[in-house]
Amino acid sequence: MSPAVIIFIVLALVAVACAVAMLVSKNAVYSALFLVLNFATIGVIYLMLGAPFIAVAQITVYAGAIMVLFLFVIMLLGGENLRLGEPLRGQRLIGLIFGAVLLAEIVLLLIFRSGMDQMVGTLTIDTSPAALGLEMFNKYSLPFEVTSLVLLVAVIGAVILTRVDPIRRPGKPDQDRKDQSGRQA
Amino acid sequence: MLVEWIIKSVVIVLFMTAGFAYVTLYERRLLARMQTRIGPNRAGPFGLLQPVADGIKLIFKEELVPHNADKLIFTLAPVITVIPALIITAVIPWGDTLTIGGTKITLYLTDVNIGILYLMAVTSISVYGITLAGWSSNNKYALLGGLRATAQMISYELALGLSFVGPILIAGSMSLLDIVKAQSSIPFILLQPAGFIIFFLASLAEVNRAPFDMPEAEQELTAGYHVEYSGMKFALFFMAEYIKLIAVAMIGSTLFLGGYQGPFVDQFPILGPVYLFAKVIIWLGVFIWLRATLPRIRYDRLMAFGWKIMFPIALLNVLVTAVVLVLVGG
Amino acid sequence: MTGSFPAAMLLKSLPEISLVILAGLVLLLSLVWKKRPPQALTWITIAGLMLCLLLALLFALPVKGPYLIWGGLLKIDVLSFLFRMIFLTGAALTVLISVERQPSQGQGEYLALLITSVFGMCLMAASADILMLYLAIEITAMPLFILAAFQFRQKKSAEAGLKYFLYGAMTSTVMVFGFSLLFGISGQTGYSAIAAALEPDRLPVSLTAGIFMLVLVGFLFKVSAAPFHFWAPDVYEGAPTPIAGFLSTASKAAGFAALLRILQEVFRASPELRFGLLAAAAVASMLIGNFLALRQKNLKRLLAYSSIAQAGYILVGAAVGTPLGASGAIYYLIAYLVTNLAAFGAVAVVSSNTGSDQIAAFSGLNRRNAALALVLGAALLSLGGVPVFAGFFGKFLVFASAVQAGAVWLAVIGVLNAVVGLYYYLNLLKVMYLDPVPEGSGPLTVVFPWKAALLVCAAGILVLGFIYRPWYHWADLAAQMLLLH
Repeated sequence: MSPAVIIFIVLALVAVACAVAMLVSKNAVYSALFLVLNFATIGVIYLMLGAPFIAVAQITVYAGAIMVLFLFVIMLLGGENLRLGEPLRGQRLIGLIFGAVLLAEIVLLLIFRSGMDQMVGTLTIDTSPAALGLEMFNKYSLPFEVTSLVLLVAVIGAVILTRVDPIRRPGKPDQDRKDQSGRQA
Repeated sequence: MLVEWIIKSVVIVLFMTAGFAYVTLYERRLLARMQTRIGPNRAGPFGLLQPVADGIKLIFKEELVPHNADKLIFTLAPVITVIPALIITAVIPWGDTLTIGGTKITLYLTDVNIGILYLMAVTSISVYGITLAGWSSNNKYALLGGLRATAQMISYELALGLSFVGPILIAGSMSLLDIVKAQSSIPFILLQPAGFIIFFLASLAEVNRAPFDMPEAEQELTAGYHVEYSGMKFALFFMAEYIKLIAVAMIGSTLFLGGYQGPFVDQFPILGPVYLFAKVIIWLGVFIWLRATLPRIRYDRLMAFGWKIMFPIALLNVLVTAVVLVLVGG
Repeated sequence: MTGSFPAAMLLKSLPEISLVILAGLVLLLSLVWKKRPPQALTWITIAGLMLCLLLALLFALPVKGPYLIWGGLLKIDVLSFLFRMIFLTGAALTVLISVERQPSQGQGEYLALLITSVFGMCLMAASADILMLYLAIEITAMPLFILAAFQFRQKKSAEAGLKYFLYGAMTSTVMVFGFSLLFGISGQTGYSAIAAALEPDRLPVSLTAGIFMLVLVGFLFKVSAAPFHFWAPDVYEGAPTPIAGFLSTASKAAGFAALLRILQEVFRASPELRFGLLAAAAVASMLIGNFLALRQKNLKRLLAYSSIAQAGYILVGAAVGTPLGASGAIYYLIAYLVTNLAAFGAVAVVSSNTGSDQIAAFSGLNRRNAALALVLGAALLSLGGVPVFAGFFGKFLVFASAVQAGAVWLAVIGVLNAVVGLYYYLNLLKVMYLDPVPEGSGPLTVVFPWKAALLVCAAGILVLGFIYRPWYHWADLAAQMLLLH
């Protein structure tokens, strides 16, 4: 067992443990922090695979931006006081069964695809930012542009859905279903 | 190889912590002169032992943990704040290669080809400590201060990241060593004036420093996210802020002022760190000058400034730089 | 590197590019041109959509034989061409129905989001790569999430948007997991490469079946088929009526276009698997949709359950996997577009005038506005599959394909369900024509855009019911080209 495999196994165990802890924890803030740890571990695994750009991007975007916003909202909404118990029974059991099925699929895939000795490999292609940039702007230019549109749509949606209501004139009751346009003209 | 890395890492950490101590003194003296008073000069000659005295005082203070605060996170938050501040300067080159008695020692810890991205990543995760500190204190003002600080930091991260793109484009590489080497003829501050100003202002906002220090305003928010902290934990926050200050000064000097470049640095590589040191001191002086002179910016204006002015200008800067480079023939 | 963007390829994508430009233009105009006449943006959008249609006819006609562009990510063939027409027409009709008597805030964003969604749908129909397909699904769905919640001051609309978003995000995730397994098997993201890796003797059936089920989750959600149909009633009821109409027609068509393509081009080696799973989903959708629609008192909810049932019928065509089945499904979708938009258009008119979309609000519609009742009646009969109206040929082709493929039991179940469906459609006709007019209701105001939209839809229903040959020819061409690769 080379040191790379040992480090990988340790990292993998940490990642899985963090993911399980995230699901099990009763405090939403702790769950979010476990998720951050999980993302950071995945970032290190990317680094081990020889993709430093993706590793740093993972940490900057996932652990550094997305999870901060998660934490922001959880803290503002008081997520540490979640109601215990679920309204629908048996969800955890069904979840575990589906999880096991998906795990079985992955295992089948691994067995079929390449055999178990290729657990840790390194990339032989060029993963420098320059090479990534060339790929992204030549072969994958259409998905790149479409992704930028997706982000634009998300920003527009965020702005629309949090728009502040104009000042209501006194005497006009809140109209419920009168006119399909729900706001003051 | 491993030994070299360990020694360099220890040197960096020691430099940052010692630097923090003396930057606090520098600030208090400079601020005092600008306010026509003298500043601390009793503890040791010229007040040079003042930081030591402060340190001893803070170690002996009683450490209070608020009732119902989340103990684990309350204790971890200062640690989470300090660590990114210490590791961010791992990629800054202090100089080129030094030859001592036949062995070549490189005066930088490591030269990754994604150095700038590393800076972005560490800046992104440095937000957590403050958020968690504000939340775990079980105190409305702390929470508010913490969330405000977080919002401010993530908003200005955008402009900060975009201001990095200018030097990357001109140098053609994300590695900080290459960027410094590309400044051997002209420092980038002359080629990227807009980028420099954006970086300067954004980095001020990132370290929550006046005039962008609303989150820790003593008068408005009763000291914001570290209101419930005392003793060594408070010292760690204090330390983190000043270490971040030194770190952004070092980054700024590397990206825009030429880093370790200066006259005769090719013949005497040992001059590299000296030049870097001098540039950092000047940069810090300007920061302290700003603190002494400008009033605090109100929070909503701060956010409007970051999103509506800095971000578009940063984008425009990237566009113009790229177009000019293509036209001039990079 | 100008060699990667040859002019011919850009010309073929000109309709999509102009859609993006149109969206930006509409958004910009809404911000800059504040003193515009109230319906200006509507007509500009419609003009733009018609221009894209024209550009598609001029520059993006499918050549003989498959043609991959953008590095193998998109495929320009009759299927993508035909569906592009469907989406553009559907969007234009939706924009016409969306006209409100008083202009409200956010009109520019509404139209821009709708156009962006159409762009995504065109990409969905043309995708030949799982990466592109996933992105196309995202850019189709995200504007629709926002549009469903557009009147978020009303709780039902906010609920609709939230439910659609959560459901969509969840099923998208499961589908992407399936895509990641597909990538894991083949090492590539293009359909043909994956199909080569999925050859039957190389993989255990459990693996292929598992992956197929995971991928199917996303598609069944998009077409509102059981067991992923739970979002449809709440979302259709809460969303603004034109958006509900758009969701039920164009969005469903996009889902089916992508599904047909992925069935034939990726999973072509497992016909029994395809048939088994899709037939099960079809039967479940038909049963659930028809039987639950019987008890509905709200017309939008009823139309939602009816659209679940219709998805079941179309799935029968997709399940059999023969050219007749695929062409039947495509014909059904074309007919369904005009039919359902007519229905939702009529609902929009009535609810805009009376403020309610309960079935009781439609009683005596004939006496209040005979033309409207006629259009709604034609739409309902078409949904029921009555001859002379468009829906008849759709159902006929789909059930004929089931019989031709030897699955007579499926056709029988389909016909029986169609009978059940006819019950509540005829019930609605009775309410419109025979029930008394409710107290204190005056004549209905129908502004010109609504008239235009309803007229076009009614004409479409009749034309597709009488003259089926040209449409069938195109649908058949599309289906045949799917099988060639």
